[in-house]
Amino acid sequence: MSLPAAPQNRAEDFDLQALSDACSERLKSEFNQAGKIATPIPLPIVEVVEEAEGVATIWLQVPTELAAAYKPGQYFMCWNPYDNKGKMDNRNFNSEKPYSVGNIRIDSTGIDDKTAADVGQHGRTQIGFTIKNLGRQSGELTRMARGDWLAIRGPFGTTFPTPHSGSTLILVSGGIGSTPMHMAAKEARNKLGNRVQIHAIMGFRNAAESHYVELMEKLCDSLTITTDDGSLGIHGYPTAPLEALLQSVEPQQTTLLTCGPEPMMKPVLQMAVDSGMSCYAAMERYLPCSVAACGLCMVGDKLTCRDGPVMSGDWLLAQDDFGQNH
Amino acid sequence: MAELTVEVPGLALSNPLMLASGIQGGSAAALHRVAASRCGGLVSKSIGPEKREIYPGPVCVEAMDSVVLNAMGLPNPGVEAFTNMMRENEFSKPMLVSIFGPDAESFANIATQMEDAGATALELNLSCPHSKPGSRSLIVGQQPELIKEYVSAVKQAVNIPIYAKLTPNTAQIAIEAGAALEAGADGISMINTVSALEVDPYAGRPIIGNLLCGMSGPAIRPIAQRKLAEVALAMRRGEIPEAPILAMGGITTGLDVARFIMLGASAVQIGSALIYGDVATFGQIEKELGDFMDVSGYKDLESMRGIALDSMEGLN
Repeated sequence: MSLPAAPQNRAEDFDLQALSDACSERLKSEFNQAGKIATPIPLPIVEVVEEAEGVATIWLQVPTELAAAYKPGQYFMCWNPYDNKGKMDNRNFNSEKPYSVGNIRIDSTGIDDKTAADVGQHGRTQIGFTIKNLGRQSGELTRMARGDWLAIRGPFGTTFPTPHSGSTLILVSGGIGSTPMHMAAKEARNKLGNRVQIHAIMGFRNAAESHYVELMEKLCDSLTITTDDGSLGIHGYPTAPLEALLQSVEPQQTTLLTCGPEPMMKPVLQMAVDSGMSCYAAMERYLPCSVAACGLCMVGDKLTCRDGPVMSGDWLLAQDDFGQNH
Repeated sequence: MAELTVEVPGLALSNPLMLASGIQGGSAAALHRVAASRCGGLVSKSIGPEKREIYPGPVCVEAMDSVVLNAMGLPNPGVEAFTNMMRENEFSKPMLVSIFGPDAESFANIATQMEDAGATALELNLSCPHSKPGSRSLIVGQQPELIKEYVSAVKQAVNIPIYAKLTPNTAQIAIEAGAALEAGADGISMINTVSALEVDPYAGRPIIGNLLCGMSGPAIRPIAQRKLAEVALAMRRGEIPEAPILAMGGITTGLDVARFIMLGASAVQIGSALIYGDVATFGQIEKELGDFMDVSGYKDLESMRGIALDSMEGLN
């Protein structure tokens, strides 16, 4: 049976841009009513960019208001309502998963954005979710194509503290934890220009998986790459170069942000706390519902979906269930 | 200050505001988190014979203003893990333990294990509207004979009070309430979610991963009130045995709680409101209820209970 709504069944002369515009208008109406997108709204994918081995960015057209309301650290629930054969997916295929926005392309009439290279295609606002193939479901997402549906709702959750003028930001990522770190750097630079110092450390398993390096180089005063196998940058974990970096900054004026696997974030946060600076982590946990209903994303006595994903380092370090792989 | 405490079989509540089953309460951490709020009591997630994973998402969404749709699929850690957790934890609020199973024997087995682990009262989830079509858990709550079979089996297995949780998706809910009470239930919990379905016109398919779903939120409150009145009036008329009712469906304010108490509820359960305001909602609702009772001159819940039924006594 042919489902006309499935992307694979569209006519050859189908106007994808008209559909994108209509869906973006629908998002705008929902957003203006509720201040967020509360129900999954499917959008046709505008573009898929391969960033690295098994890492792809999915670009979606959204109203400028929604992109402007997004704050680094927050997440959207993302859902592919069809399987890769264009059949309706129920029960056995793709579930809805939380992803933080990795990048935003803003048109020139939209919110203030000083990174001119990121002006949106066709003058329209787009958000990009950068997804790493970590299993069946995320793998399916990395193999999606222009025109496929991706339903989103959000933004949900807590955000990183806004940096103030004259402060220093240290950003430490592991793997796909690069995405919220990039948005944090981008927002800080857009807001404060040269009145903020940004130092980033990005850890990857190997050179083939490295991504966002050029984007971060543009935004940061210093960028250090580490790889587990030494195929790019420093051979080792992000904690190795972090030691010297922490000694080079004024702790009272510095905030450390991190995102990545918990076994990486735990020592990173501990080092920040030991050196006397405030620090925050964007947590990633199994997060099926996003609305404080299922109770399956607990860290200590907090819900990652609502009390997080951004949580303070001091608090996280005091939790028994923080620091292992989940 | 109005007195808000209330006692129902097996549970001494500091106020009538209980967590509803299925929201958050599946683990020690989640239950402690809710217990630390101003709720009067807890209801666990429905616990079955074995661990169950959550359905593929979307599992729970605010589909429109005042409408929450969900199909979680009864995710739970299983009776063994849950009873171990109960033995290792003491909660600061009384807990009604919700259970479900594939058949009456399984219900009775789980009930026994919960009683052994210290449960003081059980809620029997007879009415999950989003189970697979044709499964027993879909039909139990809609078939009075099966309700009797299940409730009797549990009643014979345990000494602690049991509450039968009813589905609103039947023609005459007083019939199901009567079946549960005649089979020995000590109280009624009502209502479970209203069966529902929502389609996204662009995607051309239902927006919930499980396709079928249950509806909750403020939009179902008038439905819940109608069902509650039908059961409470049947009790008043002596058509079914009298028993305390734990009522729920779309409660978000103190005035909503007053509405349910006035329709005969002893206490209420609150679920979807936590999606809007999380556990802090309990404190807000408690204050609103107390303020309303003070300004209206109700000294306690009993003086308010059932008064809205008076005008409806002659109704059929």
